[in-house]
Amino acid sequence: MARAFFAWLRSDLRAALSLGFLLALLLMSLAAPWIAPWSPTAQNIDIPLADADAAHPLGTDDLGRDVLSRLIYGTSATLFASFLAVIIATVIGVPVGLLAGFKGGWIDDVISRIIDALLSFPAIVLAIAVTSALGIGLTNGMIAVGIVFSPQIARLVRARALVVRQELYVDAARCMGASNARILWRHVLPNAIQPVIVQVTLLLAGALLAEASLSFLGLGIQPPNPSWGAMLARAYQNMEIAPALMYPPGLAILFTALAFNTLGESLRVALDPTMKR
Amino acid sequence: MTDRHDDATLNLEGRTLNRREWLSLTGAGIVMAASSPGAFAQGTPVSKRGGVLRVSGSANPSSLDPATGGAGTDHTYLWTIFDTLVEWDYDTLKPKPGMAEWSYPDAKTMLINIKPGITFHDDTPCDAQAVKFNLDRGRQDQRSNIKADLSSIASVDVTGPLQVKLTLLRPDTALPAILSDRAGMMYSPKAVRDFGNDHDRKPVGAGPWKFVSWADNQKIVVTHYDKYWRSDRGFLGGIEFSIIPELATGLRSVVAGQNDMAYALPPRLKPIIEKSKDLNLVTGPTLYCLQLYFNLAKKPLDNVKVRQAINYAVDREAFVKLALSGMGEAATMQLPKSHWAYDPSVATLYPHDLNKARALLDEAGFKNGFELVVGGYTDQDSVRRGEIIMEQLAKVGIKLKFINGTVPEISGQFFGNEKKFDVLLSAWTGRPDPAMTYGLMYAKDAYFNAGRVEVSPELSTLLQESRASENIETRKQVFAKIQRIIMEQGLVAPLAFTLEFNAISKKVQGYKPNLLGKPKYEFLSMAG
Amino acid sequence: MLTAARRAVIRRRLLQAVPVLVLATLVVFGLLKLMPGDIAITLAGENATDERINEIREMYGLNRPFLVQYGSWLAHALTGDLSKSLASGEAVATSIARSFPNTLLIVLLAMGVALVLGIPLGILAASKPDSLLDRVVTSIASLGIAVPSFWLAMILVAWFALEWGWFPATGSVALGQDPIKALHHAVLPALALAGGGLAEVSRQLRSSMVEYLSSSPVRTLHAKGLSSMSILWKHGLKNVGVNLLTVATLLFNRMLAATVVVEAVFAIPGMGNLIVNGALHRDLPVVQGVVFVMVLVVITVNLVADVLYTVLDPRIG
Repeated sequence: MARAFFAWLRSDLRAALSLGFLLALLLMSLAAPWIAPWSPTAQNIDIPLADADAAHPLGTDDLGRDVLSRLIYGTSATLFASFLAVIIATVIGVPVGLLAGFKGGWIDDVISRIIDALLSFPAIVLAIAVTSALGIGLTNGMIAVGIVFSPQIARLVRARALVVRQELYVDAARCMGASNARILWRHVLPNAIQPVIVQVTLLLAGALLAEASLSFLGLGIQPPNPSWGAMLARAYQNMEIAPALMYPPGLAILFTALAFNTLGESLRVALDPTMKR
Repeated sequence: MTDRHDDATLNLEGRTLNRREWLSLTGAGIVMAASSPGAFAQGTPVSKRGGVLRVSGSANPSSLDPATGGAGTDHTYLWTIFDTLVEWDYDTLKPKPGMAEWSYPDAKTMLINIKPGITFHDDTPCDAQAVKFNLDRGRQDQRSNIKADLSSIASVDVTGPLQVKLTLLRPDTALPAILSDRAGMMYSPKAVRDFGNDHDRKPVGAGPWKFVSWADNQKIVVTHYDKYWRSDRGFLGGIEFSIIPELATGLRSVVAGQNDMAYALPPRLKPIIEKSKDLNLVTGPTLYCLQLYFNLAKKPLDNVKVRQAINYAVDREAFVKLALSGMGEAATMQLPKSHWAYDPSVATLYPHDLNKARALLDEAGFKNGFELVVGGYTDQDSVRRGEIIMEQLAKVGIKLKFINGTVPEISGQFFGNEKKFDVLLSAWTGRPDPAMTYGLMYAKDAYFNAGRVEVSPELSTLLQESRASENIETRKQVFAKIQRIIMEQGLVAPLAFTLEFNAISKKVQGYKPNLLGKPKYEFLSMAG
Repeated sequence: MLTAARRAVIRRRLLQAVPVLVLATLVVFGLLKLMPGDIAITLAGENATDERINEIREMYGLNRPFLVQYGSWLAHALTGDLSKSLASGEAVATSIARSFPNTLLIVLLAMGVALVLGIPLGILAASKPDSLLDRVVTSIASLGIAVPSFWLAMILVAWFALEWGWFPATGSVALGQDPIKALHHAVLPALALAGGGLAEVSRQLRSSMVEYLSSSPVRTLHAKGLSSMSILWKHGLKNVGVNLLTVATLLFNRMLAATVVVEAVFAIPGMGNLIVNGALHRDLPVVQGVVFVMVLVVITVNLVADVLYTVLDPRIG
């Protein structure tokens, strides 16, 4: 397995680069207290909106806090946010999809209607509503995003479960006395996993962008903790005076989302041998 | 701050003006941008009429009916359509006759004499019947939000075609100031009857401009009323308000020439205004006080030493520098230096002193500090303020944990039944009369007294006393005592007064800021 | 035109629409009800007292049981009465009628840009697979999908509006009022939205074109002497029409959702703005009304797409 993994990486440069970038981000978020030059919340009231210099390679924000340090510390909040949302989406979406696809009948009808309903209006409204019900904060915001994303996973899993249900070997297993749960676990789930892995990777990018949007609207991470989306929101406020503040967090979001997407696309190709490039 | 603006901002260097100096200043119209050569001098009749002023409005009105609305941001719209029975002096907020004059034959009777010849926009007369209709509506209508303001009135009687007599339950000399606010805005009775429940979207008043249209969250349009009862005001042909709650975006629209004026701007936008060749920056002091509200019923805020410690620990000057870019006044009580009831002796109670703060906390038994849950708002300026205060109080071991949300949600949770949070970081927008402020904040069952605590019987007596006499000097003494109790007990931690901060196109002349900080357009005219 | 098969499709979609509509609005209503706080406090305003707030709650029926409130709303909605905003009293239908065209203008313009630029790019890339051109187009597409639309909006404002002054930085103008000005205001927001759409369109088109090019009917065409380009443009487009339609539909839905943040950056009074403010202020009728209309729009778009599918490919349906 490991050998196949490394062979894949060697063959696909883009996947390797993306994975490397993401691992570096993870390391950066864990090592933040050691690599960041300043504390992310330390205010230097004498040098607000300072230009980049040796002490502050990316300048300071409107309260005199070092942008580079905030960017580094913000990595962990941002990564945590993306993963949390996607985990929630999977934890909700997979069982629901399995249930709908495998059981069929009226259960499937009801679930499919709910999925359609959830997918047909703006996700951000749902996120606002859920966030407000649970209280504003990064964790709650991401739970909301996870709930919003879960229909996509449910739909995917349901489609695969439907297909597998028709397969003969499932009937054979049932003849031999296997329970539903066992069939789900041993036959349906492994089949559904691959597209889910791909979708999950792509959803990580979506969750990242969703966190940025929620923080931009003031509904995400709470001060003074930094996240890239919150930094963008601040930069927007100071757009005429210090436009340079827009670029560090924006580029960070862009490249991370890009890495997730690239990885997802490469996984899709790697895991599905029938797909042509 | 540059020299250019020193004239424009009053008393931020710490000199108190006495009343006589104040009164002399009002005639000269000093509080204005000195950079504009055609600067307006109050009293000079301006012959230029017409033109449409385009304003970037900061919020959608809660209602265009003064009695049913509730937001402090409504007034600037309302004043274009509604004139008030009582007006105030722009610089001191001292009441003076508006559509009516008043007198107190005795402590529990107030007579209102309406000036003749005033008509509403639907050409019906503004007479005693109309005034009675409005006052009764304010006191009794199910949808009225101003019942509390008029609660001292027992009955309203018409005693002449242009005279109304108010019989009071108790002496209330704050009534003239109250009648300069929502309760004094006269709405045409005929229109209220004709429009029924729709009337708060189709306002009919007696102000310089009449209502044309209101597209929610988008635009409000008013146009000049040609039968307006005064010839020395209301020169603009019309006003169009575009509603842009995001203030930086609103300023952008003015810089781009899409609008002529933006008000209530945060001072950090000053460089942008100065960079633009077509704009003037106009500032003036206001009563708008950024402050920390305390829920006095919650531990450890029930301990006076803790509250005093917080007042010592906040660095007001640094707050003004960071949060208001230096354009504001450190608040040592709930009135700014320019107000007639300001008491300089109270101002010295809490110099910034971290050691004193730590000592007090130690005495109170909190040597190792403690945590406070603070309610705050989600807009970026509020978030910034929260971060600044967090840092300041952290230095004495007080950890602040912020829970943010929208203004109505968080305010409601703090002041209402839920009683969440220990502290609220917010502001008091100011009232025309200090008695209104103190009553609304410190009376035992007042809504804005989150803990619903009676601080002391002495304070309650003083609150009543403040409304008993009409004499300014007497009232000033009473207010001084009230302020002292409030600050000695640390009932609140005032932080800073903001300046009214406006970006106005050079095409516009005559704008004069007022102490309430809510723009009025009656003296404006458009050049060219 | 309206064959029996197409009528069946329409009928089926409409039947499915009803439960979706009810479910969506019920879910949102439920969530809003779960949220702490209600609009009574805002309405009571600066002179609030506890009694006043309760008075307001009674006045607007906010204390009634959940299902009664929802049922009442639904009954009115089905007769076309979307009730009035609690905050301002404006009829919700009026607010929507005013906001929707602003959003629609930007979304349609963005879709136009995405399609008009994306299709040729995709075809170009497909005509020379794995070439430098192909790699450039694919990379740009990847970037486009990863870029946050409101960041793109900020950059566009910073350069095109503030620095060079070619376009307005804020606001919108109704199309009916002044078409030229309306378009002028809509350009930057549409471009911000179109970034992701452009990427998606060109990528999808490229992959389905590449698939088509290696199919057997195409080999015949090659044998007949037609060049790749002419094959792609003449026959290819027709064939991938189905895919394109899917992409366009998805694009529409996604852009409708993405306008929320873009409208915030440009202070455009559109649907996104309407619903975010409504949700933040617990203005239930407004949120319900907007959700209702948005779901209707999405259902309609899907319906039209379904019918178009049968036109493009008679085998479907």
